[in-house]
Amino acid sequence: MNTFKALLMREYWEHRGAFLKTPLIIGAITIVILLLAYFTTERFDLKINSGQAIELGAKQLENIDPEKITSALDIFMLSTGSLYHFVLFIVIFFFLLGSLYDDRKDGSILFWKSLPVSDLQTVMSKLVTAIIVVPLMFTACLIISHLAFYLVLSVLLLFNGVNPFTLLWANIDYINNWGAFLIGCLAQAAWALPIYGWLLFASSFSKRRPFLLAVFAPLLAGFVWYWYNAIVEFNVLKIGVLKTIGVLMAKATTPFTSGLGFDFENVDFDPTQQTNLELIRTMLNGLTSSNIYYGLLFAAVVIALAVYVRRFRNTT
Amino acid sequence: MSHILSAQNVNKKFGSFQALKSVNLNIDKGKIVGLIGPNGAGKTTLLKSVLGLDSCEGDLKVLGIDPFKKRADLMKEICFIADVAVLPKWIKVEQLLHFTEQTHPNFSVEQAKQFLAKTKIKMTHKVKELSKGMTAQLHLAIVMSINAKLLVLDEPTLGLDILFRKQFYDNLLNDYFDNERTIIITTHQVEEIEHILTDVVFIREGEIVLDANMDELTSSYFEVMVNQDNYEAALAHKPLTMRKVFGKHIMLFHAHSREEIELLGEVQRPSVSDLFVALMQEESA
Repeated sequence: MNTFKALLMREYWEHRGAFLKTPLIIGAITIVILLLAYFTTERFDLKINSGQAIELGAKQLENIDPEKITSALDIFMLSTGSLYHFVLFIVIFFFLLGSLYDDRKDGSILFWKSLPVSDLQTVMSKLVTAIIVVPLMFTACLIISHLAFYLVLSVLLLFNGVNPFTLLWANIDYINNWGAFLIGCLAQAAWALPIYGWLLFASSFSKRRPFLLAVFAPLLAGFVWYWYNAIVEFNVLKIGVLKTIGVLMAKATTPFTSGLGFDFENVDFDPTQQTNLELIRTMLNGLTSSNIYYGLLFAAVVIALAVYVRRFRNTT
Repeated sequence: MSHILSAQNVNKKFGSFQALKSVNLNIDKGKIVGLIGPNGAGKTTLLKSVLGLDSCEGDLKVLGIDPFKKRADLMKEICFIADVAVLPKWIKVEQLLHFTEQTHPNFSVEQAKQFLAKTKIKMTHKVKELSKGMTAQLHLAIVMSINAKLLVLDEPTLGLDILFRKQFYDNLLNDYFDNERTIIITTHQVEEIEHILTDVVFIREGEIVLDANMDELTSSYFEVMVNQDNYEAALAHKPLTMRKVFGKHIMLFHAHSREEIELLGEVQRPSVSDLFVALMQEESA
């Protein structure tokens, strides 16, 4: 008997496609883009230079300063990582939106509730899936995708007479780039927690369309707040709620920038430093912000409400 | 803990609509109770409260536990089938068994596999690949492999054909039920289950109108098949209901005037469904 592990497995079984196939497909697409770019270049090269330019270009690579190669690879690994973060957020968004609604819609909630699993455990399993399980799966898939990408690149380099081990594999900063992605997942989970909690609540509460409740209720609150300030207080610059939503969404979709402030003076980022380590430092700095605690408090309240509603809402 | 289920003055309101009106009900161990009532009478509302799926006012205890407050604890000891279609569509049979084994302390996966071996269901099937009848078989196999003190079936055979329905109740009675267990069943197909019931509870507009043991019930009412000759005489005793079959009148009476009426025609045991119709009409008259 291991109830919580079984609950996590359950989420994996149901959403294997979104959790596992999505990141692997993105990896496959980067490889396809690499191959398309290579073969297009080669085609032009054959037409114009009878195929010498690529070979010469490849030879030139060996003369580049290894540090520059490392930093170019950093940029590749971090930008694909950022894409994975963005997709991860989208996947979790729709997973959570359906998580406490779909089983009410198809009636299977009555089967789940016939087992000795409390509603708190159920809701927690969805949350843990969103903030721990799926990010770890995405991290693993990102690593696999990067390695596959470099393998294909190695073959291309070999074709052109370049040693991929000295040029490519020796210059990859594995730990810091993958580490930055993983810490990005942590920052994402921390900043997105109020959004995730709100999605759980919308999913648990909504009788017909959780998406409408999840998206339009906060926007409506934001507009009401804005127009209240604009008309009653005569302050047209105070955007309050909408700003908070915008900031959270920005941090949740691109956690690499989550440590940055919004005013120019507050941008605590030195691009001349080694990029991946600098990213890790600013993200961890961002996590010490007191704003994050308000977010956690809000998340705790809406998740508690989601559990409360889950106890008696069994249909749609 | 004398009763498996005890309800004292249980009420449930939805807005201004009173779905349950001070329900009092006790169910003892080893009974098979049919909970019977017309649509919208409050059967499902009552069962939802019993299963901890919704709150209610009043004192409701199932195995001594408050169902709504401690549903997860209660589900270790009881189990239910609410409708045939409730198994999740995307899950595989083996995943379903594994999940149940991991979350339920009283579930025997070997037993479930034995039950399933008698059916056409394969472990690699997904629920959405199964027919309605097979889904019900699968659900029953899971439920029968749980060593529960109370089993609640709410319209378990809805939408199944007669073969599956018969098999469903045969399996339930032969392979599952013993005197240590208790079953509560609701269904509209009363005639199919009346031979297995030990007790019946009639519910109408949120009120319990009858709570009796089957023997008691069939001895306190009786039917007489009356010829045309004795029609007037029998009618004078004010039958509860009357229907005409092959030119004879079948009348339902309370047992208290049995001795006189018996002489007027052939006496038979009334069916639960006829009694149900009679009592429902009597109440509304």
